[in-house]
Amino acid sequence: MKNIFLKLSMNKKLALLAFVLGLIAVFAGNPYRGNSVTMDTKELALIVDKTVDHVSAEELADWIIQGKSDFKLLDLRTEKEFNEYHISSAELVPLAELNEYPLLRNEKIVLYSEGGIHSAQAWMLLRAKGYKAVYMLFGGLEEWTDKILFPRIAQNATPGQTAAFEKIKEVSKFFGGSPQVGGTAEEVSAKKPMPKLEMPGGTSAPTAGKKKKKEGC
Amino acid sequence: MNAPFFKYGLFGDDVSLVVAFIIGIGFGFFLERGGFGNGRKLAAQFYFNDLTVFKVMFTAIITAMIGIYYLSVIGWMDLSLVYLNPTYIVPQTIGGLLLGFGFVIGGYCPGTSCVSAVTGKIDGMVYLLGIVVGIFIFGEIFPLVSNFYNSTPMGQITLSQLFNIPYGILVFAVVLMAIGGFAAAEWAEKKLGNKIVEP
Repeated sequence: MKNIFLKLSMNKKLALLAFVLGLIAVFAGNPYRGNSVTMDTKELALIVDKTVDHVSAEELADWIIQGKSDFKLLDLRTEKEFNEYHISSAELVPLAELNEYPLLRNEKIVLYSEGGIHSAQAWMLLRAKGYKAVYMLFGGLEEWTDKILFPRIAQNATPGQTAAFEKIKEVSKFFGGSPQVGGTAEEVSAKKPMPKLEMPGGTSAPTAGKKKKKEGC
Repeated sequence: MNAPFFKYGLFGDDVSLVVAFIIGIGFGFFLERGGFGNGRKLAAQFYFNDLTVFKVMFTAIITAMIGIYYLSVIGWMDLSLVYLNPTYIVPQTIGGLLLGFGFVIGGYCPGTSCVSAVTGKIDGMVYLLGIVVGIFIFGEIFPLVSNFYNSTPMGQITLSQLFNIPYGILVFAVVLMAIGGFAAAEWAEKKLGNKIVEP
């Protein structure tokens, strides 16, 4: 047997090798990993503990105003909610479709949902799949609405608070919000409708159906 | 079909360009060493005089296929990170035929024309110029053909999904196809080749 193999020409040896590997492949199973992963729960727990896993509403607002494009903003809510209002440049990705959504392991991903629960769960899923730079919007869209769209200041604010409010007022206007003086959070958000999607941010065209970046040979 | 290291996050955009540059140089070098910088050699396959091109390409396909398959099966590679070009069956068939005509007429495919041009062959340079002009024209008329360009989309589909057969069996089938192809190529070179005298 060994002699026969040695007598073959190099081409025939390689062909035989390919044949054998091909034959084994029939029984070796599916090369795709599917959806199961292994994760280091201790490592994830430490990240959560250090709270380096979120961005605040103000930070995100700053990034958008500065026109940063080094991150992907994903809206995890339903299509209906997305169409009513979403943060400019956000892409609609319902949680169930997150697995199939084209994301790169090395790109910065910011997740948000209505509160913070869905985005935290999605954060865990993406981290488990090996995505390194995943962040959630702290407090979700509720916090965004309170802090950015309808920031408010008490009638008897200190000078320091007033100065901070002056700054956030500009931010708020950029996103089509309306700063409030006095009143409580509940009154404010009950009264005010969400800003129209054609806001001065400019980049709020629905990006959900956006074509994937072309790549390949 | 990009290597998955970029998507694993092992390096960023800048380094990936350097990596692509190095791989490109390597690719060109081995094409040239294989004799693929010569239009006569490439065209000889259409006369069954020399089927090296066919054999090299098919060897590359099954080597890569077996390598990727086993690396994924043993878990060293995540196949879902390897980019698949989406299939648009009709426009891609027409495009393939156009490329084939160009290959037969000009004696090069796009990659080998670059190899030929940098080794100083005038026909390669003319061919490369033709590619650039073609790209320019295509870009200019793209709005007119974009509907056709995007027609009959089938998504990022593989043969395994299309025929609903397991990947392992497909790997074996392609290997058998390749071995059969090599045998047929050798036979054709002996029987059918050399009937047409090279210019």
